[in-house]
Amino acid sequence: MTRSLNELRPVYVVGIGWHRYQNPSETPYVELGLTAIRAALADARIEWPAVESTYVATALLGMASGRPMLRHLGATGAPLMHVENASASGSTAFRHACIEVASGISDVALAIGVDKRNPVRRPDTGIGNLAEDAIVPFTHFALLTNEYAVRHNASTEDIARVAVKNHRNGAKNPNAQRQQERTLDEVLGGKKVSGSLTSLQCTPIGEGAAAVIVASEDGIRRLGIDAGRAIRTTASVGRSERVYPPGAGFDAALTKETADLALAQAKLTPKDLDIIELHDAFTVEELHYIESIGLCPEGHGVRMLKDGALDIGGQCAINPSGGLIAMGHPIGPTGIGQIGEIVMQLRGEAGPRQHGGARIGLAHMVGVGAVCYVHILQR
Amino acid sequence: MQPNKLLKPGLYSAASHDQAGAIVRLKGGRCRCGYVFFPMQTYGCERCGSHGDALTPCELSAKGTLLAEATVHLHADKNRPAPFTIVKVALDDGPVIRTLLAEDSAPVAPGQRVSGRLAAIGQNESGETVLDLRFSIAS
Repeated sequence: MTRSLNELRPVYVVGIGWHRYQNPSETPYVELGLTAIRAALADARIEWPAVESTYVATALLGMASGRPMLRHLGATGAPLMHVENASASGSTAFRHACIEVASGISDVALAIGVDKRNPVRRPDTGIGNLAEDAIVPFTHFALLTNEYAVRHNASTEDIARVAVKNHRNGAKNPNAQRQQERTLDEVLGGKKVSGSLTSLQCTPIGEGAAAVIVASEDGIRRLGIDAGRAIRTTASVGRSERVYPPGAGFDAALTKETADLALAQAKLTPKDLDIIELHDAFTVEELHYIESIGLCPEGHGVRMLKDGALDIGGQCAINPSGGLIAMGHPIGPTGIGQIGEIVMQLRGEAGPRQHGGARIGLAHMVGVGAVCYVHILQR
Repeated sequence: MQPNKLLKPGLYSAASHDQAGAIVRLKGGRCRCGYVFFPMQTYGCERCGSHGDALTPCELSAKGTLLAEATVHLHADKNRPAPFTIVKVALDDGPVIRTLLAEDSAPVAPGQRVSGRLAAIGQNESGETVLDLRFSIAS
């Protein structure tokens, strides 16, 4: 018999921490990762030996990079697993940390994402292609932008407003790589990248780290963790791409089926969501995904954006962290940082970017390949 | 005029010729389940998982409808100097492909009919003209 996460024992996020996402620097990844882990341990008010299992999300560092980092916390011998799942590496690590605790195998598990910018190596499948060497991610999303604009009669300015909102949110986030508000003119006037995408509409790939600690009720009691600050994970779903009808947007279709399953698992509807952290590596994605998650009908995303419904303080705050566009996308950490942001918001500890009264948050990531992960967190 | 050298002969062939040059056929495949794909491969069907005899080569027409276009302004690969334009095309025979717009093509927009031809893209070390697939507005 198959079971979903919320049919197992409850699992809570009890600690969150970051090393700021930043432009590539000389800082070793070990220092980035340890900073985030120590911050998460301090946030949970527990010591490293309490962590019974660790999932390390990286996409760009190389083989088994977690061990040379974790040994500096005091080598406890606890199990360690490395997770690579493209942009969704961190989300995948978080899911497996939750499953381990929910199953009863561990009471306390850590998911840590850390990466530095390195060349991406794509495997050779042996199948030829016409021009894939000419199609990098920003061109894939430039094509989607063109399709969205034509199908829904949206202008370049309409779509670029996603970046204005997310830069505004990121400007209030000390963990963000980009911490500067940008006007629509600045966004549109930036360096042209591909199609109508400009550089401020694309995520900056940098470096950083994010960590979350998850625990069972037994673990919380035993370690004396403050249950009032613990945030429960009520849904966890991972999916991969199927064959969709010719011409269908596979990123959006995959997000829809993953989000639908997660909402059903948590017994919620899209209207219940106060906060969404989603994969906005490129502006058009935010519109696609809020529509796929069901916040509004297809093509209505621009109207919600212009009405301020997606702002902090609006109907549902989308990417209050600044999202991938402003907070940044160091790959391994990104999905874990989203969880941390939602936890901070649901605790009411998000300071100047706090979305008032937030009780329910959803985190969404897609990865090249294509995989999709959705988690729901509730106070 | 025979093409001297195809850049990617595993993906397409010169089917016949008219005044504008070589008409191209794409080397796709069909599964016993009816799924049509491009390019031909023998690993297995993405839809039903059948492999071996279930997959047979089939020629696809290089005619279709444009779904999207994007002119690339920045590209790290020096062998592919920007700007160039990528098009996403729903082939009449089923598969959706992404490839290059011909440099001499008029601007394109979603919904337009487009077709692929073999275009000279340079010469190889033996002095042969190298031909590659390029799309442009259907004539």
